[in-house]
Amino acid sequence: MNERILCALAGALTLTGTAASSGAPAKTIAVNQFPKEAQLVERVLVPVPSEVFAVLDKLGKPNWPDVLRPQKGLATPAGGKEQISLLLGVVIAEGFIAVEAENGEEVKNIGNSVRSLAKAIGVEKAVSRRANSIVEYAEKRRWAEVRKELDLALTDVRQAMMELNSESLAQLVSLGGWLRGTEALSTVVGKSFSKDGAELLHQPVLVEHFHVQLQSLPEKTRKEGVISKILSGLHSIRPLMGTEDGASISEKDVREIGKICAELVASVNAKTK
Amino acid sequence: MKRGFFVKRTFLATFAAFSLLSGPGTARGTIDDALSFALEAAQGSVKEGFTVREEYWGGDLPSGQPKPIAHQLFKGNEYWFWMGTDCKGAKISVHVYDSAGKLAEDEFWQKGQKAAARIRPKRTGTYYLLVEIEKSPDERTVWSLAYGFR
Repeated sequence: MNERILCALAGALTLTGTAASSGAPAKTIAVNQFPKEAQLVERVLVPVPSEVFAVLDKLGKPNWPDVLRPQKGLATPAGGKEQISLLLGVVIAEGFIAVEAENGEEVKNIGNSVRSLAKAIGVEKAVSRRANSIVEYAEKRRWAEVRKELDLALTDVRQAMMELNSESLAQLVSLGGWLRGTEALSTVVGKSFSKDGAELLHQPVLVEHFHVQLQSLPEKTRKEGVISKILSGLHSIRPLMGTEDGASISEKDVREIGKICAELVASVNAKTK
Repeated sequence: MKRGFFVKRTFLATFAAFSLLSGPGTARGTIDDALSFALEAAQGSVKEGFTVREEYWGGDLPSGQPKPIAHQLFKGNEYWFWMGTDCKGAKISVHVYDSAGKLAEDEFWQKGQKAAARIRPKRTGTYYLLVEIEKSPDERTVWSLAYGFR
């Protein structure tokens, strides 16, 4: 797999030490200096939404009902498999927000939407049990369990897609979740701006990963409306998120990231003719 | 053959077969076996409230050739990375470096077929997890790396 940008990230490092083999680790490493056999692991493991929400929990108590975008009924499949996969990710991310907002009705609605969208792309079986658990736990207002089931639903859907040799669709589910999650994160951070909160948006490795994934899609798919818009959006987001670790992300950039993500999520939600 | 990837715990059989493709004289274990050692290493931390991710990385490596894995970490969380191998007599390690290649972990340990590193990231961003088979009786050794957060 062509993870050229990740390799470029690694290549930016210079050799200042070697990895230890005698117990004590090297104080510095140079990723680009490793032997060819030991180049960067090709795959990026996208963090589950719970990882981000765990940090937000520690930062304070955002007004989640304000962030939640309630669905009007069940999410219905629109467009091709690519768009449905993106939408599935968006809906699961909305589920996390509904959990934070402690909105049981919305969580139940989302559980049923997940089932409907999963059916449209042939992975209903993999996610059915999770969808049932989401609805069941939401009725009992057991939010920690709902959050866990949502994490697992995302993982199960992706895995089921890989089993069906649809790895690219699996990545689109992750991307949809990331777009809605990043939009929500921007909203939360923007409403009560802090440097620490804004820093959560510094995710260059993920932006590059999704960019590479989209670039690897067939040309015809890449040129389709929603994918093309996301490619362009990722390109715009990348510099706003800070090019170096520790770089400050301004309040204005947080708003801009949120705006771009909101537009992309709207594209994913759009009904196609 | 890819030498590094991530998989999900419940679909190990597929990947067990995959690892066996390496042939005689190379990696003999399987990633699910390696993972069982990694998860054993995780047990104590799970009791302390760490959530273990369902997906994880795995592959096979020759001795003395560390392999970096780029990964996003968030300031405010605490992470443990647990590495395992089923190869008896192997010594493995995992360490965490920041995007500038500087050692960033707060703690690490290694006990034969298991190793682990803990970090409370000082910044949100890209980190490198450096996995290494320090010594092994086999030409290539299968490894697995899981992680948890709280």
